[in-house]
Amino acid sequence: MKERDDRHLKQAFEALRREAAAGTPPFQGTVAAARARHTAAPRRALGLAAVVGAAIVAVVSVSTWRARQGGRLEIDLATVRWQAPTDFLLKLPGDELLRSVPQLGLRSNDRGTL
Amino acid sequence: MPSADLTDQLEQLHVTAFGWALSCCDWDRSAAEDVLQASYLKLLDGRARFDGRSSFRTFVFGVIARTAREVRRRALLRRSIPLASWLLGPEPVDGGPDPATALARADETARLMRALGRLSVRQRQVLHLVFYEDLTIAEAADVAGVSLGTARTHYERGKAALKRLLEEESE
Repeated sequence: MKERDDRHLKQAFEALRREAAAGTPPFQGTVAAARARHTAAPRRALGLAAVVGAAIVAVVSVSTWRARQGGRLEIDLATVRWQAPTDFLLKLPGDELLRSVPQLGLRSNDRGTL
Repeated sequence: MPSADLTDQLEQLHVTAFGWALSCCDWDRSAAEDVLQASYLKLLDGRARFDGRSSFRTFVFGVIARTAREVRRRALLRRSIPLASWLLGPEPVDGGPDPATALARADETARLMRALGRLSVRQRQVLHLVFYEDLTIAEAADVAGVSLGTARTHYERGKAALKRLLEEESE
């Protein structure tokens, strides 16, 4: 029974083999196509390398150009100083006395004129 | 191996190699031709070198099986990553048989192909190598890259499943 089943499978595969063999492409054509792929592959790799190279050159030249143009961003802190609405709370009473230089001679002069 | 000898040996194996490539590519003729060309290229430019550890046929079939796996992976990559098709080159067109050929295909052959398509890849490979290519199970294990025990299991289970599927098809 098992052998008969195996024989049946073998016959079915044999029919499949005959059909596939009839449609097999010629060997020389397959080898020629394979060799053609061999020459096409480096061309593709060369194209890819050229694209990557061009991209690198573009990035380098843009960054160099920006550096030459003074591309470094400089910020004038005086112009961008921000004041909080609660800054007045930091002001102490008599704060201006601490910031100004006392003028000692001025009071005696004032007295003289009075 | 000298290039002329290699070409001669490949020519002798060409018909069976194409049958094996068809099986590895789910009977897609165009994909099989693509795989066979890529495999021959590997063999001819020395990327795949025969070291005499197995028979030449087993070695060539192993190269074809590996190449088919690579082509499948590349096709998956092409579909999943944008621009990958541009980098990897054009995808081979679907090489299914034209309607006239499909009509002419013998009923039994068509049933066998449908049934084989429902088996697992490993079962299909081992059965193809044993029944179609007349390889021993040990040689089939070598080509499929599995142990002898695993190949035997795939062979027995695959054969039982194939018989069942063929009976279902004929009912």
